[in-house]
Amino acid sequence: MAAAANFPLLIILILFLSSFMMPVLKRVKAVKWLSLSSILLCVVLSVLTLAYVQQNGAFLYKVGHFEAPWGNELKIGYLEAIMSIMFTSIAALITWASFFSADYEIKEKNIMLYYTLCGMLLASLLGILYSNDIFNCFVFIELSSIAACGIVVVKDKKENIKAGVKYLILSSLGSGLVLMGIAFLYSITGNLNIGFIHQELVKVKDLYHNTLIISLGLFTVGLGVKSAMFPVHIWLPDAHTYAPSSSSALLSSLVLKAYILLYIKIIYRVFGIEIVKTLPILEIVLVMGAVGMIFGSILALLQKDLKRMIAYSSVAQIGYIFFGIGLGNILGLMAAIFHIISHALTKSALFLIAGNIIERIHSKEISRLKGIGIEMPITLGVFVVCALSMVGIPLFAGFNSKWNFALAIIDSNRILFIAVLVASSLLNALYYLPIIINAYFGEENTKDRVYMSKEKSLGALLPILILAFAIIYLGISSNGIIDLIAKSVSNL
Amino acid sequence: MNTLILFPVLFPITAAVAFNLITFKTRASRNIVTASVIIVNFLLVLLAFRFAAIPELQLVKTNSILDIYFKVDKLGILFSLLVSLLWICTAFYSFEYMKHEGREKSFFTFFTATLGVTLGIAFAGNLFTMYLFYEFLTLVTFPLVIHSGSEEAMQVGRKYLKYSFFGAALVLAGIALLYMSGSNFSFTGYGVINTVDVKSRGLLIFTYCLFFVGFGVKAAVVPLHAWLPSAMVAPTPVSSLLHAVAVVKVGIFALTRVTYYIFGAQVIKTIDSIYFVGPLVVFTILLGSILAYHQDNLKKRLAYSTISQLGYIILGLILLNRDSLTGALMHLVNHAVIKITLFFCVGAVMYMTGKKTIQEIKGIGKEMPITMGCFSIAAISLIGIPPTNGFVSKWYLALGGLHENRAIFVIILLTSALLTAAYLIPIIITAFFPGEDYRPSVSRRDPPANMLVPIVILTAVVVLLGLFPNLVLNFIKVIAVEVI
Repeated sequence: MAAAANFPLLIILILFLSSFMMPVLKRVKAVKWLSLSSILLCVVLSVLTLAYVQQNGAFLYKVGHFEAPWGNELKIGYLEAIMSIMFTSIAALITWASFFSADYEIKEKNIMLYYTLCGMLLASLLGILYSNDIFNCFVFIELSSIAACGIVVVKDKKENIKAGVKYLILSSLGSGLVLMGIAFLYSITGNLNIGFIHQELVKVKDLYHNTLIISLGLFTVGLGVKSAMFPVHIWLPDAHTYAPSSSSALLSSLVLKAYILLYIKIIYRVFGIEIVKTLPILEIVLVMGAVGMIFGSILALLQKDLKRMIAYSSVAQIGYIFFGIGLGNILGLMAAIFHIISHALTKSALFLIAGNIIERIHSKEISRLKGIGIEMPITLGVFVVCALSMVGIPLFAGFNSKWNFALAIIDSNRILFIAVLVASSLLNALYYLPIIINAYFGEENTKDRVYMSKEKSLGALLPILILAFAIIYLGISSNGIIDLIAKSVSNL
Repeated sequence: MNTLILFPVLFPITAAVAFNLITFKTRASRNIVTASVIIVNFLLVLLAFRFAAIPELQLVKTNSILDIYFKVDKLGILFSLLVSLLWICTAFYSFEYMKHEGREKSFFTFFTATLGVTLGIAFAGNLFTMYLFYEFLTLVTFPLVIHSGSEEAMQVGRKYLKYSFFGAALVLAGIALLYMSGSNFSFTGYGVINTVDVKSRGLLIFTYCLFFVGFGVKAAVVPLHAWLPSAMVAPTPVSSLLHAVAVVKVGIFALTRVTYYIFGAQVIKTIDSIYFVGPLVVFTILLGSILAYHQDNLKKRLAYSTISQLGYIILGLILLNRDSLTGALMHLVNHAVIKITLFFCVGAVMYMTGKKTIQEIKGIGKEMPITMGCFSIAAISLIGIPPTNGFVSKWYLALGGLHENRAIFVIILLTSALLTAAYLIPIIITAFFPGEDYRPSVSRRDPPANMLVPIVILTAVVVLLGLFPNLVLNFIKVIAVEVI
């Protein structure tokens, strides 16, 4: 199994190569299947990578002939291995779902482009995840930004272009800030390899206190913009609302998460938590996270458009994740990582469901969703699972997230923040449950609705059913995954 | 045969799922099936008591918190028997009553499911399992609350959800705080928290208050009571069963569990929590009675009365002596029986005549003598006049108050008894003594047997429990000895 060390690089290469082959292919169907099969292959490789990591521990992989710091390095530990399984498998599910919705949402001539961009996007996200070289990360960030903007504008409508441009500008701003952060680090350490930067930083941290604040601040804002941290989330609602549903699912469940994972790497690997704790940045992240948890939900509550509501809900959920990171303790980080997974599952399912509903009732308005539980019982059934998970009912993944956050809060002796957690979960209930209520109950809502009349085919529903199953599985038996996260956190 | 414990919980839920899938040909066939499911479930409850050798069952334990564990103890037996017996009465009553409400399929589906969930709470062996079923209870009772589907009902339903989830969230926060202090959460006689030092005292008070308010939402503690009167928009069987027995009593039951089986009476005494929660309880008792007095709608009047009576029970719980706990648990049983009778009578009047307010029912006692007769007996019992069961429980509550040398509580109890009389007696008077301008209608119209028989049986129980309270009383005294 020594060959397994090559798999991460292979995953990136497979995805890039397959996506560059797509424009050459003539038939849309071939493109679709190439896309799905390459991602499925990557799922298998990711699982093997995890098995390899479990056997041999975290490892550094040298790309090319030169040793670091001159050559490029990938670093694969538990965190990367778990996350790469999550990224590839969710991407596979979304791709499968897009087979059934792309024809409706995307113009025929753009479909090939869409799958090309998706492949590039996934490859660059995994690049960000694996790379142990901070400049290399930056390159992948830029690539992913372009691809992400691409899958927003691929629908080719006026509002898409507008949302895409907004996203592009803010996203470039974010990348620019990250680049400046890297520049500051480079100027005081003379290295770009994460391990080497850290070694140097430990030596010079007292000399360059302010530089460190500036640099970490730049990373925080830069990656914050890209991962929609409150209050720099302003691009997200538009982009998520107008993009095709499968793109929204990708953006919300994976793209945002890759930047957050990079942020975790920067805090724990580049700077090291001891150094970060001497800087005031984490406190700010904590507060921003808490504010996002509340305001994201309040904004979601005010929305009339289904996808926009789910998008604002993402802002709140990203708030949770930053909140966990901002707590600055191990439990907080574990809760954040667990929430990255549970939110990725829930949110991708929700966006796919939104896509199904919009396709069938030709409206995005929440007020038009009445009685839809009768017409699309399976889709709405999965929606109920997701909503209950978001609210934090036990036996669903969201409960475990919330529970872990509560423990982390208590562990860090900031008990008052429990109020934020409670308030936020209640707000979640306030905007998800009315949809369910109107979908299933109420005399006027359910009159003249025909059972199963608008449901999609079982094949199209398969991805959301798998996601629902995963949400329940994570809710009931989270031990295995928590253990893995604990290992990954201790090896960061 | 430990798995026997699981049957009473899962059987109704499975049956409910089946009801949803099967289409019954006639109303009668559905009624027969529903009745037999509920009666069989009662037998299953008995079976679980009789044959479960070690009455506990570890169902799932995936980590230290996600631990689904059932245990049957005396308190659980008391509550589950109460629930399953009253469920049978309500089932028969609803067969008739729901004819005019319609959508019986949905009603009986959730009605049956709620039985399973409530028994799940009764048999829960640790805090997490109870919390789990507590959340589920909200979800399965919600469709019952909004049964009519009207705009008003939907609004009330949303209110119900908001209140319930707020409560549950506080409970979860409480569990998290307890969890960090590292105790296990299985319900144990004298509580699982053993030591209180100066450092943890504040935290324990805070945690207890979280639990109190959290479960207090379902138990309609003022100021979180507002959902209960609103929920009267639901059909009468729902109001009677859920809002006199299942939902509100689950709140009380959960509070008992937390107070005596998690914290332990000794710890609660040490942290002086009565100074924090006592005022709320006093408010609940008095405000409930006073507001009840102002209601014209009969069901709303009974709802506010429920709030006040629940206050009695909680008062008994937090006084923390054997007599008060005996009184509280007695009243838990007695109030359930009394209030369900009152609701059934009012429902019968609504069903037969469509009259809902106190002005409309002038002389109804002449038209429906049996119904209103039963109403009068139950009302007298609620006021606390011997020889009815209400007297017994209030007697013990008063004794408990005196034990603590807190005569103030006895005074509150007496004041509230007077208020109870003030809001119930006028109904009886209007019903039987309509005044001179009343022209008697010719017909006698007591409701059909399906409704009347449960009412009469329950009224008989009210009197019998007053005359021979020992059967229940001895059992409850054993419980009290086990926890204090």
